[in-house]
Amino acid sequence: MEESAKVRRLEDRLKVSQREGIIKRLVLKPSLEENIKLLKAVAGPSPDVVFRRLTVGEGRVKVAVFHIENLSDSLLVEKLIRMLGLGTRLSRMGPVTEQELFSQLKEQWLQSSEVCETDTIDEVWNALVEGNSVVVFHGIARALACSTQGYDKRAVDEPQSETVIRGPRDGFIESISTNISLVRRRLKTPNLWIENFTLGRLSRTRVVMLYIKGLASEELVQEVRQRVNRIKIDAVLESGYVEEFIEDNPFSIFPLVFRTERPDRVAACLLEGKVAVMTDGTPFVLVVPMDFPMLLQAPDDYYEKVPVGSFLRLLRLVAFIGSIILPGTYVAVVRFHPELIPTNLLLRITGAKEGVPFPIVFEVFMMELLFELLREAGIRLPRVIGPAVSIVGALVLGEAAIRAGLVSPPVVIIVALTAIASFTVPTFSFGIAARLVRFIFILLGGALGLFGIQFGLLFMIILLASLRSFGYPFLAPLAPLIVSDLKDIFSRMFRWSFIRRPKLTGAREPVRQPQGQMPGPGREKEEKEKNLQGAKDKWSGKR
Amino acid sequence: MVREKIANRQLLFILFMIRSTVVIATLPVLTTGEAAQDAWAAATLALLGSVVIVLMVGGLGTKFPSLTIVEYNQRLLGKYVGGLVSLAFLWLFLHIAATDTRVYAEVLVSGFLPLTPLTFITASMVILAALVVYLGIEVLGRMADVLMPFFTLFIALSIAGALRSVQPHNLEPVLARGLGPVISGAVTPIAISVQFLALAMLIPTLTIPEKATSSALVAATLAGIVLIVASSVVVGVLGPDLGSKAIFPFFEMVRSIEISAFLERIEALTVIAWGLGLFIDVATFLYCGAKGLAQLLGLRDYRILVGPLAAIWVLVAVYGYESLFAIMRFFSPDVIGPYVAAIFLGPYLLLWGTYIARSLLGKIPGQKGGQ
Repeated sequence: MEESAKVRRLEDRLKVSQREGIIKRLVLKPSLEENIKLLKAVAGPSPDVVFRRLTVGEGRVKVAVFHIENLSDSLLVEKLIRMLGLGTRLSRMGPVTEQELFSQLKEQWLQSSEVCETDTIDEVWNALVEGNSVVVFHGIARALACSTQGYDKRAVDEPQSETVIRGPRDGFIESISTNISLVRRRLKTPNLWIENFTLGRLSRTRVVMLYIKGLASEELVQEVRQRVNRIKIDAVLESGYVEEFIEDNPFSIFPLVFRTERPDRVAACLLEGKVAVMTDGTPFVLVVPMDFPMLLQAPDDYYEKVPVGSFLRLLRLVAFIGSIILPGTYVAVVRFHPELIPTNLLLRITGAKEGVPFPIVFEVFMMELLFELLREAGIRLPRVIGPAVSIVGALVLGEAAIRAGLVSPPVVIIVALTAIASFTVPTFSFGIAARLVRFIFILLGGALGLFGIQFGLLFMIILLASLRSFGYPFLAPLAPLIVSDLKDIFSRMFRWSFIRRPKLTGAREPVRQPQGQMPGPGREKEEKEKNLQGAKDKWSGKR
Repeated sequence: MVREKIANRQLLFILFMIRSTVVIATLPVLTTGEAAQDAWAAATLALLGSVVIVLMVGGLGTKFPSLTIVEYNQRLLGKYVGGLVSLAFLWLFLHIAATDTRVYAEVLVSGFLPLTPLTFITASMVILAALVVYLGIEVLGRMADVLMPFFTLFIALSIAGALRSVQPHNLEPVLARGLGPVISGAVTPIAISVQFLALAMLIPTLTIPEKATSSALVAATLAGIVLIVASSVVVGVLGPDLGSKAIFPFFEMVRSIEISAFLERIEALTVIAWGLGLFIDVATFLYCGAKGLAQLLGLRDYRILVGPLAAIWVLVAVYGYESLFAIMRFFSPDVIGPYVAAIFLGPYLLLWGTYIARSLLGKIPGQKGGQ
């Protein structure tokens, strides 16, 4: 009687939070009909929640199989139903009571990979939305959830935002279980630990934390766990939601949580003692703590030959700094310090600027703004119109503006150079931050010359130096200086020279690999001799 | 609250940058002024002098590894005398940093930004310093880590570029006029070495306070070498006459560098290096001033003092001197010598005397292991 009252109340006009509260408290009843009524009251008229009534055990026991369409694989559900019938028919000799049938089915006959027992409506529902099928029995206040997952998902594809020339081409997708498996396939150790969280009162999104037990510092793991557990939110639709709750400084324009679409990068980060946070429904995985060097490292660096990788990384560093200060510096030098430009070049620049009606600051600022406009339009527009926009941008705005004498050609060169340079930053979120900062530098350069640029740079470095990501200084190993870690910053040293893990995050097990693995001809022989010598030493030592 | 710490390496960088900044900004003119072609000898003497000052400051400081000078002043000399001495030191912090800022602003205004008000440049520098001090000494240490390579690189480039045009005959004759001018030429650089007083405030923030003196000695030696090299090269390039008459001989020298037809004006690098060094300089002294004043007033956190002090810093920098020539007058040996003797040497001798007397008597409150 009490139950039906609850059900009636569910049909009332309750607020969603109240409904959730009631659903949390509902438990399964021994009567099948009542359970069906309960579930219907919970899920309402939703047509995708379907169930099939059956009579099994020689017509003695009534059951119902629930599942949600397209979250579960219909073939698997059919197989489950067949097994239910078959199993109970074969066991004719044995059980008669519902209880015996229930345990026999659970332990013997249901051949799903995962079968678990549930006794509340909430658990039943959770099992259903995970794509499982739930078998509800008449006469028993418990149900069996069997795994029949099989929903549509995108195939594992090349990540769009982080492409490489050489390196694995698989990227994360929107399904968290696939994403976990992608990392698991790279790190097969049982010490890759994964902790589950459910976030979002309504979205009930699965969020997991990955780390290598015994390598990631316990304090870091505990900190991440705490920060994720602290989140109270109604829905998590993308990892950005999680990021905003767990980052250290919400006002910093530079990202303090690293995100990537690449399983190989996540694996590499885990090997450095970092912690990854995955969110269901997005290919972007968060990695903490983040440090500045991560932003300029591309996965290619580690797969390509060392000199090439180092050169590219250095190029990227220069390009990154250039993409921030180049337009501002140009403005500063032309406006305040023309004596710094070699005479011939200066003549060219002033010649080109002849007749341009705007002050140089305005010119550069407008062109940069225009470029940002084009770029944004290029992303948002439907693919079909994209080329049209770039033609309009390049031809009409660039060429025509020069012809009309509104903009001087050197400015266009500077803007184009800056744009290209900013594309070299491998981390997109960092690239956007740099774009923002660039405008401030144009204004500073226009107002104060090189002194303004220096002021801006110092200001920026102060802010960067004061940042911490999960307690780890953001600018490390540059500041605080850690000389042993510098080999992975401006250049990429040889793999066999990475004897130690980064000092801050990898402190629990600093040694990555044994020393002296530099390859070369005749190494085998040397190795043998060394071993022999070692054995001899050991032997003589023993005696 | 966790005590903020800086590494000894960061202290070394900070002190080195403070000292070398002074070198590129002002010192060559001061050493060459009296010593002419024997500037290198005066510079060597200045190195020795700064080492003595480091030993004085660091030696006493490491006796009290967890206390700043403001704190052990009062332990050694009593509340009132100690407080008075502390005030003198705080004034010194203010004065040093304000003077450095003013010189920098003067150069920028005269050489690069003729239309920008002096106050604006001074204020920008002090605001940056105040920001970093407000964020804490750890951030200052990290800034030193980041800026050190650039600073060193730019200065090295400036000096290396000039090496080609050194004319050895400019450095002759060696010590022709005896040691008199050399000694008087060394007075000012030694006097400016009171910058090492910052060490006395920074020792308790170090990770290994016991090694503070050796870190500072390394910094002093490196900066001294920079000074010797810089002053020799300046004289070598410009000659003793021009070298002693130019207001900023180091810039004159860098300006004359022409590496190729395309690279001829690299003094911007020097100015930027100077700016970086000055930033560290002002920030360090602002920290010392704010921290010291907070301790003198018995405040728990120095941060509320940073804003007001920064404002005072700007005022002193802008209105403390009428013009560049007032600064130059202040730097002449017969003005700065007695000034530093009165405000630094006197109190320090008093401190050392009290310390020795009291340790002989066997009771020094607050010293490690002595309690």
